Amino acid sequence: MSDSDTPKLQSIILCQSCDVAVSRQALPANVRALCPRCHSALYAKPFCTINGVLALCITALLLYIPANFYPVLELHFFGSIRTSTVWEGAYSVIKQGYYIVGIAVALGAIVAPAALLVSILLQVLIVKHGLHKPILRKYFRSILKKHLLIKQFSMPEIYVISMFVTAFNLGDFADIYMGIGTFCYVMLFILMLFLQREYNIDYMWEQLHESQ
Amino acid sequence: MNPNKPSYHEMAQGNHLNLLSCPKCKMVCSDELEYCPRCDSELAIRDESSLQKAWAFLITAAILLIPANIYPISIITKQGRVTHDTIFSGILHTIHLGMIPIAIILFIASILVPWLKIIGLATYLSAISFNLPLSKRFLMKGFHIIEWIGRWSMLDLCVISLTVALVNMGQLLDAKPGIAATPFALVILFTQLAAKVLDTRLLWDRMENKHDSNRTTKNS
Ligand SMILES: [Zn+2]
Ligand SMILES: [Zn+2]
Repeated sequence: MSDSDTPKLQSIILCQSCDVAVSRQALPANVRALCPRCHSALYAKPFCTINGVLALCITALLLYIPANFYPVLELHFFGSIRTSTVWEGAYSVIKQGYYIVGIAVALGAIVAPAALLVSILLQVLIVKHGLHKPILRKYFRSILKKHLLIKQFSMPEIYVISMFVTAFNLGDFADIYMGIGTFCYVMLFILMLFLQREYNIDYMWEQLHESQ
Repeated sequence: MNPNKPSYHEMAQGNHLNLLSCPKCKMVCSDELEYCPRCDSELAIRDESSLQKAWAFLITAAILLIPANIYPISIITKQGRVTHDTIFSGILHTIHLGMIPIAIILFIASILVPWLKIIGLATYLSAISFNLPLSKRFLMKGFHIIEWIGRWSMLDLCVISLTVALVNMGQLLDAKPGIAATPFALVILFTQLAAKVLDTRLLWDRMENKHDSNRTTKNS
């Protein structure tokens, strides 16, 4: 570190929620430091097994394809059969003129999860292979800046619950079947859960700083 | 807990130490900098205007909550008979059918969460705007809970989208979204925006000032 200020500043953390100053202490893995004043989460050990994240991310991306290609629910009613993929669900409300609703569903269930996976994949690949190249560093920085926003829009967990609620609701008067699409979507949700436990954005930011 | 720890009024804040943290990447910087050296985001000690923005989003959401609740959110046709269901009557329907767990899930996601969010955010913003003497820790805890549960209101909209896609057999059996669906989606959007734009540190500053003034009078 050339800058004499840096070590001092690096040992201090400011709570994002209440601005209290706390000195950073080494934490064991899987322990989160809480703000002593407002009890918000402050920081965890900035640790991230890059290869583990990469493996989870690629598996999730592979599952993403059948999860969106195959129907998640199938309805049988007096001989008629109807199926719906995630996208067809969102599109059916758009077709009825409810653009905002359809876009919100598509964003939360399809677009944002994909963007989140691609974001993590690119970050990991850049950390592994290209942080020394200025152009890739620039991309890395702008991806990281958008990461939290994408994460907020991604809600596969809500969609999973809504599939089951719909199945129960309609199961009252029709026969509802779940298929390979349902299975893949649920698996995608579980993988993304693990992925987000492994992934650590503070670690990614530190990579940017250290390779300067 | 260690009894020698300073009470939480006495803890040093970043703005007293001439430090600030980057809103995007949390890096701690000197408050003389205008841009974060790590991620190039614009730095500011506090975002004072965020309070007004949050109020504006919150009031918009509160107004939209009315049409979202009084108009039908789904229109079901069963053997030629058409029923218009509001959020509330839809839940009553599920109860009548004996699906109590589903009714509870829908009640939490579509009624409890939006109301809690609006009342909770209004309390938080009032505490900043009018210096209400409420426990800051309690408010902060509530704020984080609101941030976390807010998304779950999307549940009903996902259910409607799947139902509309599956149930389309004309006069025999048909489901369509009702006009309340759009205001309901906007309620979710605007409450999430209100929570997102707000600089929560403003709460701790306000009460800090009040406490500081007490302290100076005591010292003098
Ligand atoms: Zn704090
Ligand atoms: Zn920054």
